[in-house]
Amino acid sequence: MRTGHFKDSYAALVALSDSRVVWAWTGVLGLALLALPLLVGAYSLTLAITILVAIVGAIGLNLLTGTTGLISLGQSGFLAIGAYTNGILLTDHDWPIWAALPMSGLVAAAISLLVGVPSLRLKGLYLAITTLAFSFIVNYLILFFESVTHGSNGIFLGDVTILGFDLSADRPLYYFVLAVTGLLALGALNLGRTRIGRAWLAIRDHDIAARAMGIDLVRYKLLAFFMSSFFIGIAGALMSLQIRFINIDIFGFLLSIEALAIIILGGLGSVAGAILGAVFLTLLPEAIRILLSLVVDPNASTYSKYIYEIRGITYGVVMVLFLRFKPDGLIGLWRDAKKFFANWPLAY
Amino acid sequence: MSAMLQLSGVSKRFGGLKAVNEVSFSVEAGEIFSLIGPNGAGKTTLFNLISAIFKPSGGSIRFEGEDITGRPTYALARLGIARTFQNLAVFKHESVVNNLLVGLHTHLGANPLSALAFWGPARREEIRARERVEEIIEFLEIEDIRDLPVGTLSYGLQKRVELGRALAIDPKLLLLDEMVSGMNQEEREDIARFILDLKEQLGVTIMMVEHDMGIVMDISDRVCVMNHGLKIAEGAPAVVAADPAVIEAYLGTRREGRA
Repeated sequence: MRTGHFKDSYAALVALSDSRVVWAWTGVLGLALLALPLLVGAYSLTLAITILVAIVGAIGLNLLTGTTGLISLGQSGFLAIGAYTNGILLTDHDWPIWAALPMSGLVAAAISLLVGVPSLRLKGLYLAITTLAFSFIVNYLILFFESVTHGSNGIFLGDVTILGFDLSADRPLYYFVLAVTGLLALGALNLGRTRIGRAWLAIRDHDIAARAMGIDLVRYKLLAFFMSSFFIGIAGALMSLQIRFINIDIFGFLLSIEALAIIILGGLGSVAGAILGAVFLTLLPEAIRILLSLVVDPNASTYSKYIYEIRGITYGVVMVLFLRFKPDGLIGLWRDAKKFFANWPLAY
Repeated sequence: MSAMLQLSGVSKRFGGLKAVNEVSFSVEAGEIFSLIGPNGAGKTTLFNLISAIFKPSGGSIRFEGEDITGRPTYALARLGIARTFQNLAVFKHESVVNNLLVGLHTHLGANPLSALAFWGPARREEIRARERVEEIIEFLEIEDIRDLPVGTLSYGLQKRVELGRALAIDPKLLLLDEMVSGMNQEEREDIARFILDLKEQLGVTIMMVEHDMGIVMDISDRVCVMNHGLKIAEGAPAVVAADPAVIEAYLGTRREGRA
């Protein structure tokens, strides 16, 4: 029986996992992700890239909302900043992508400090509304400063290459996004096992006690905004690489809501939860489409007329069911399954 | 003995209410100093002033000779002042180990970049932190609950975790706000023993607000009594207990003509 409770060194306590089985399966997953482009078609690969980008954004939002407990509805604003910074640097200033990508994250992160300052006094709904207002301001400013942002014309990304690979092709882009996502996910996991991640958790659970433990709330709340927006800025930049044409209409309010849905469904405060949530919610519309095509003739007029409504409703129903029956999200399901199979088939 | 904590004329007004009124006393290094008084006497407010949760309206607070009036709350942990709270203030979704690790915050040095990489010093300090946490867990005898979320534990155990978290700061001065309220007799005795161990083995100076007179009289070196925001007595437990002003504060005065 595998219990995993016995550690023979203090180093084992700080490892991401000290179980060989876990590492072996992680290796298998890594290989499968590397082999994916060889196994699936162009449409599925596009979907995979969308999922990876969503993962980066969800991990970023989770640092702020799940871990630090600061609700933000301004994520679409930071995505837009990341995408536009990337687009402007690549097309107007001929930056190479390896420099433009981190810069996109840094610009979003720097601007997030402006939003972060009011957050030092605001919590809950008040902060949510402030960040929401911020995302509207960003959209407006992007339209207004046409000389820099191309305004309503949008930005079309030309050829983007890294190490000689053309990122407008699906396969190189997939590997590029996969590498960035992997690095950032690891970074987020690492943050979580140091004093920084714990300071954020402490602020979420009891901010006065956190202060008494020597945690400077101003610094750590701003750091949460900074880190979260860095991730989201990068997600925006990756998004721009995939869609290749950046237009302000993409960064609507619903995107922020969807991002929140991802982390709530996945499991607040957990990197694995953000990943599961991003995978699940990106694939859900696809799954609904495939299921519906099995039961209804796709050419039937009533079906094609209401396709978006049906998908929207199903999406909503799944969300409600999760909140009602599994409030700790997909990661909670995963933990339950692990507990069940640790002793399976003879629990007693 | 030298004064570890010195309050001079400390006041706190909430609007027209003088919650703490010109209170002065000093806590000597290595002693157990109790603050008692009827409900609403201003004890917890005074605690919040010392630990900088509130800013005093007047007076000064010195710690080891240094003026700490108006310092930000978080700066006190670094100086070696730790506290527990009257109502539970644990990080309830986190494990016992994580709660204690938060207490070690000021002893760790990871910055955002080293934390992202988790390599070299950042990893080594985490390993050292785990060793330290295990020592505290052993001291407080909470080995069997170390991985449980604190919110799922009994009240007494949550208080014990809160004490452990304060110990992780490695304090010179430990402020305990009604540590044993709501505990059963066995839990109270455990806590009293831990407090005495802290004083004797680790040389921690302890200041506590307490309603449990048994504990106050048994383990305090000195007691300060407050009523209506004023200090009304100070001294050894037995002396204070016999003070007419203290008896009056707790029991009221005899009616005229009945004596």
